[in-house]
Amino acid sequence: MPVWLREYSWRQTGSAVYLSLPLRGVRVTPANIFCTDQYLKVSIPPFLFEAILYAPIDDTNSTAKIGNGIIFFTLYKKEVAMWDSLTLANANKEKLQYLRENAVLKAHEKAKEETEAKKVTKQEHKKYALEATMKLEEAERKRIEDLKEKERERVTKELELWKKQQKDAEKQKRVQKEGELHQEVEQLKEKKKEKMNKTRIPNEGTSKTRLKPTKGCHGFYSMFSENVKEEQLPAPRSAATIKINFTSRVFPTALRESRIAEEEEWLRKQAEARRTVSADLSELEDLKEEEKNPDWLKDKGNKMFATGNYLAAVNAYNLAVRLNNKLPLLYLNRAACHLKLRNLHKAIEDSSKALELLTPPVPDNENARVKAYVRRGTAFCQLELYTEGLQDYEAALKIDPKNKSIEKDAEKIRHLIQGTTQDS
Amino acid sequence: MSSGGTERPQLVAHVQQALSYTLFDCKWVPRSARLLCLGSAARGTGLLQLYELRGGRLALLREIEKAKPIKCGTFGATSLQQRYLATGDFGGNLNIWNLEAPEIPVYSVKGHKEIINSIDGVGGLGIGEGAPEIVTGSRDGTVKVWDPRQKDTPVANMEPVQGESKRDCWTVAFGNAYNQEERVVCAGYDNGDIKLFDLKTMSLRWETNIKNGVCSVEFDRKDVNMNKLVATSLEGKFHVFDMRTQHPTKGFASVSEKAQKSTIWQVRHLPQNRDIFMTSGGAGSLHLWKYEYPAQRSKKDSEGAEMGVAGSVSLLQNVTLSTQPISSLDWSPDKKGLCVCGAFDQTVRVLIVTKLNKV
Repeated sequence: MPVWLREYSWRQTGSAVYLSLPLRGVRVTPANIFCTDQYLKVSIPPFLFEAILYAPIDDTNSTAKIGNGIIFFTLYKKEVAMWDSLTLANANKEKLQYLRENAVLKAHEKAKEETEAKKVTKQEHKKYALEATMKLEEAERKRIEDLKEKERERVTKELELWKKQQKDAEKQKRVQKEGELHQEVEQLKEKKKEKMNKTRIPNEGTSKTRLKPTKGCHGFYSMFSENVKEEQLPAPRSAATIKINFTSRVFPTALRESRIAEEEEWLRKQAEARRTVSADLSELEDLKEEEKNPDWLKDKGNKMFATGNYLAAVNAYNLAVRLNNKLPLLYLNRAACHLKLRNLHKAIEDSSKALELLTPPVPDNENARVKAYVRRGTAFCQLELYTEGLQDYEAALKIDPKNKSIEKDAEKIRHLIQGTTQDS
Repeated sequence: MSSGGTERPQLVAHVQQALSYTLFDCKWVPRSARLLCLGSAARGTGLLQLYELRGGRLALLREIEKAKPIKCGTFGATSLQQRYLATGDFGGNLNIWNLEAPEIPVYSVKGHKEIINSIDGVGGLGIGEGAPEIVTGSRDGTVKVWDPRQKDTPVANMEPVQGESKRDCWTVAFGNAYNQEERVVCAGYDNGDIKLFDLKTMSLRWETNIKNGVCSVEFDRKDVNMNKLVATSLEGKFHVFDMRTQHPTKGFASVSEKAQKSTIWQVRHLPQNRDIFMTSGGAGSLHLWKYEYPAQRSKKDSEGAEMGVAGSVSLLQNVTLSTQPISSLDWSPDKKGLCVCGAFDQTVRVLIVTKLNKV
């Protein structure tokens, strides 16, 4: 239950009401005061003061002054009149309730309206500011455009002027040239006349030759000048060649600094892929650097095979295989050596290993695969395992159907097989 | 934005013309307001178009079609009266045309096995002395010098040693042609090599590698004692070499600048002021630069040999005209500041650079 405050004093003038409400020992803030046009409430729990005013007041302009322990209200009346009392006398509970609620509602609405109004004004201000800045920028832009336009016009005019000057200059030159030529021709004619007058016979020849070049005014003039010029031009240079070397570059594309790192990575990876797979054999320390390179050893082996030194070739291939056992060509070539040496089982082994390494079967390793099949086939035949041999020859034919020698050999083997089956 | 102080040169776009073919090179016809566009039509033939500047537009005067697409051309080796155009095409043929009678070339030779990437001429146009010569650089890795008076065989041939794998030659330029005997050819290759060949002694005078493919080289003046050489490359870099002092081991001093992220396709010096040059870029931009000489152009190193000192380069202005690379650029030798540029968006643009007198 709130504590009602009933001690108040008031006085009035025609247009205002002055109300003072003593509050001892409580702190008042503006939030505690609630006022609408006919209802005034001060609520500081547990204290409560409320008054239903005699007549409506102008609550927006009315003020409340919070002093030491007292609130002093200055309420401006809506209608200028003298009030009989501060509050409405006959106020029953219901009316009170209704008035209270109304008051609260009104206050709410007012607050809403105020916020709306504020928002609207804020928006308008923003818009205005935006428009102002846009105008400024537009003006700036226009100014720059105008400057540019002016430059452009000025420069175009200059250009036209220059063109005109050029044309005039050309015309003048042409006129001048013709004038000069005319003069020259006149001079010559005069000279000719003079010479003719002096002695006729010996000079006729010369005068004729003199006049010949005057086919047309232009022809004479330009030939004259060209003769002079050609004397001044040096002869064409004697032909020579300069040989040059380029800074080496592995890739066919142009050099770009930003790509150097990528390219080095790629090259490094390629080199590593070719390098030794098992490089921790202690005997390898004795070998020279190049002897540790499987490619070099392969080349060595090939050379020795070519000269007929099959055992040495096999040795080279063996060492190469120890260094890198993933190169199919090493096994392939070793198989050929074994064939020559008639180590047929070893030849079969090596060709099989080569074929294993030559998966996946792609066009790039066609050649190698054909050779592998042929060698294995030969080895089988020499061991008299003709059916296996035929199988391999047919596989080789499948890869390379155009090879005549393989066909012939396959035929031979077929005959042989048929021969033996017939016999047995 | 080409704004800034009102004292800086402005690059004003004067005329723009859309073309219906790929433009590879554009050149001013000397002593006239006409320009030539060289390129390749969609059907794989070469096109030569002659335009004249009239008012605010380009008027087409002649159109000539040839069998092979034309990559580059020059007026450098003809006299002013004749004004014959030397062109290099995609088939490796060097032809010299009389534009008044273009059906049959005045001179023709199948100079190279592959496309001629770049051509330059010297000895004509009343500039300098000496025999008129044309140099061509091709994708087959060779650089050949031709004299229009000598048929079929080049006067000088710079080719790779037997067995050497070839690199594309992307650009060539003449220089040092200050009297009848002296002449020098500079060639840039796609692996970053720049080689300087001396034609008087028929030897390689200097070479270096600038770590990026060389797109364009030009001396500031062909007909004086060689002064400066600008070499532009991929990755937006260009180098200015001071060519007055050659050190026995270090070669020529240089200053380099990174202008933009894209390739710098061309460099052209202003004919009326050899310290101003313009570079065109792969992003469709043009940059105008000024070179400033150092206080002393040469100094002695620790062993007493003379060594050049490079100066500095400052950007005067830049403008972006297109989204495609501007592959060709030419200053008019008659009107200061007038230039034409051709881009891969099939447009040719005429620009005027103002305030060059105040630079």
